[in-house]
Amino acid sequence: MNTFLHTTAGKRHLRLDPRTKFALILCTSFTLVWGMSLIGVMAVVRPALAFVPAILLLFTPRLRVGIVYGILEILCFTAEITVFQSTTGFWNLILLPVCAIITRYMPCVVAAYYMMATTTVSEFIAGMERMNVTQKIVIPLSVMFRFFPTIVREHRCINDAMRMRNITASNPVSMLEYRIVPLIAAVAKIGDELSAAALTRGFGGDVKRSNVCEIGFGVQDIIILLISFGGAFTSILAKVGLI
Amino acid sequence: MENKKITAKDLINIGIFAAIYFVVLFVVAMIGFFPPFMVALCFICPIATGIPFMLYMTKVHTFGQLTIFGVVMGLANMLIGDQWITLAFAVICGLLADLICLSGKYRSGSLAVLGYAVFSIWTFGKMLPLFIMRDSYFQAMGQGYGKEYAEAVLKLTSNWVFPIILVSGFIGGLIGAFIGRAVLKKHFERAGIA
Repeated sequence: MNTFLHTTAGKRHLRLDPRTKFALILCTSFTLVWGMSLIGVMAVVRPALAFVPAILLLFTPRLRVGIVYGILEILCFTAEITVFQSTTGFWNLILLPVCAIITRYMPCVVAAYYMMATTTVSEFIAGMERMNVTQKIVIPLSVMFRFFPTIVREHRCINDAMRMRNITASNPVSMLEYRIVPLIAAVAKIGDELSAAALTRGFGGDVKRSNVCEIGFGVQDIIILLISFGGAFTSILAKVGLI
Repeated sequence: MENKKITAKDLINIGIFAAIYFVVLFVVAMIGFFPPFMVALCFICPIATGIPFMLYMTKVHTFGQLTIFGVVMGLANMLIGDQWITLAFAVICGLLADLICLSGKYRSGSLAVLGYAVFSIWTFGKMLPLFIMRDSYFQAMGQGYGKEYAEAVLKLTSNWVFPIILVSGFIGGLIGAFIGRAVLKKHFERAGIA
């Protein structure tokens, strides 16, 4: 069974190098969050970059996420082009932030989701090590990525238990106490077990660990890298006013 | 215990708590897209994240653990669309918090509260572009988000708000830390986790 955010790496998808995914996320966030409005080149660059994660998701078992996200993007980009100029006042204030979140922030989140859904922890570590990142940062980051799906799963279980006991959102204080506290307690316990497991596998030893993952750049990586860096570069040029 | 090097277990702990911290932060920060709440974010976020962070503080005993937490937090935020300035700010705040806690040899509870409050100021880094790159930011915002949204934000973020947000982050951190410690006493110590 597929759980939310759980990695399905290796099952059926286009294999990308972890470093490519990093570049994609960083370029997406740079271009979309700080990019200009949909005038001139940016009218092509911004939607293009926003659709990359959607297309990539189509090659994974998470088809549905990709399709829903793609439709959302189409709707909001159309809204940004057509409706914004004609609305004013209250509706403008409501509509704008919503569309801005979806066209500017959501692509980064979905790209990050794509990375988490398709990268195993080993691949992630292999990619970071190739970039010569120190262990002190690689370990926390990889544990963090490993833990997002765990947190979501634990949260669902706690949610079910609390609903059964009729502790719902109507009382924010009790919700905070009865949701966050058990969540933290459960995750902290899981974390202790995880570190014990990692230590038995030689984590934190003096010897350099080997990695069975074969990573490297293929054609698909080069295409994605070209799109991402091209997008970021054009957005810089557009900002400076050269294009 | 002093001068110990950071072990693999410490690094894993950083990852675990960074994950919880990040999730809580992300959920709370979602309300910040609407202009009236935007300036309050620096105040609200530290209150919500106080519980996981104070539990993390009980596991901190080596110099560098808070700094690395800051680095990880900054990197994770860059991945969801923040500028490099957030990373710089997170690292600086982490380092300061580390120094504060080091002065109490990582045993003092009140210094841990102070350390968390100082660390909380890093959320301010998320808003810093509003002030430093003010002109270009609002120009881009006016184009991207529309004039009215930009003006609403502009009104809320005149220059005198700058120090207020900074201080509100610190105060939010203090409140969050006290809530966190209360929860720690009530739940975690009894359960043997802290």
